[in-house]
Amino acid sequence: MDLVQLQRQFVDYRTSLYHEGFLDEQFTQLQELQDENNPDFVVEVVSLFFEDSERLLNELARALEQQSIDYKRIDAHVHQLKGSSSSIGAQRVQKVCIAFRNYCEEQNVEGCLKCLQQVRHEYSLVKTKLESLFQVRLPCRREIFFLSKMVLP
Amino acid sequence: MELMKSENIVQDRQPQPQEEEEIMQQEEEEEQRFHVLAVDDSVIDRKLLEKLLKASSYQVTCVESGEKALEYLGLLHHSSPASSSSQHHHQETQGHKVNLIMTDFSMPGTSGYDLLKRIKGSSWKDVPVVVMSSENVPSRISMCLEGGAEEFMLKPLQLSDLHKIQAHLLKSLPHS
Repeated sequence: MDLVQLQRQFVDYRTSLYHEGFLDEQFTQLQELQDENNPDFVVEVVSLFFEDSERLLNELARALEQQSIDYKRIDAHVHQLKGSSSSIGAQRVQKVCIAFRNYCEEQNVEGCLKCLQQVRHEYSLVKTKLESLFQVRLPCRREIFFLSKMVLP
Repeated sequence: MELMKSENIVQDRQPQPQEEEEIMQQEEEEEQRFHVLAVDDSVIDRKLLEKLLKASSYQVTCVESGEKALEYLGLLHHSSPASSSSQHHHQETQGHKVNLIMTDFSMPGTSGYDLLKRIKGSSWKDVPVVVMSSENVPSRISMCLEGGAEEFMLKPLQLSDLHKIQAHLLKSLPHS
């Protein structure tokens, strides 16, 4: 059954993302908020996260290139990234941000550079995975209802 | 339908050309819903909060900073509590009531705590204020509660958290 296969594919892929720690239960919350009135809610929020994160990562790279590093500013950016990744459930990104902030507090430039590299890596991983997930989009409840009426005996 | 004119402020929907009666009915319905002013510098958190609140049938206005919130409340140019001559502005601004203010704690410029203190020192002091933060810092929590916040909530907020605020909203209902 195509519909069932589609659902299963989506659920299996999503489950693997949870198991591998890419997503946490906050992502589930996002999906629970999605409804017929706002069927693209999750995609919209995640897109905002992508835009915002890319901006922050660029700012961070710039800030760490400076002669005299402004750790307060870096910390502020990392705090933002930590917050937004937490809000969408991007757990691995959030975890790196926590370590990143510790290095900021210690004013450890090497540590900060290492974390920037790590957070960039985790961000691009979760971005790729979320983009794949949305290609296997779960129809919203009403769609499933009508499809099931048509397809199932 | 919501018209998002800028990412800063989410406007209430504009009535389409309709029978006058229908417009009045819509406005009455809006008047009956609780109106929440949500303040957060994160575009993602604003979107989330807006959805959470709308899913609970509240009317929402989102602003991106403490300054914008003060501006919305008409407090930007006042440094002292409103005098009795502006009593007619009590809990009303731009024709809208505000039943609850939810604000992030860490914001550049006017912080959530600054905003809380300004509100509590103004004609809006009876409007419940909920402070949100991604960080669980006990001293921060007690500071906000002592500053007059009704509630301190940890982000990210979930639908179940919205139940808590309903009690605060019911408290703010006008006495007849």
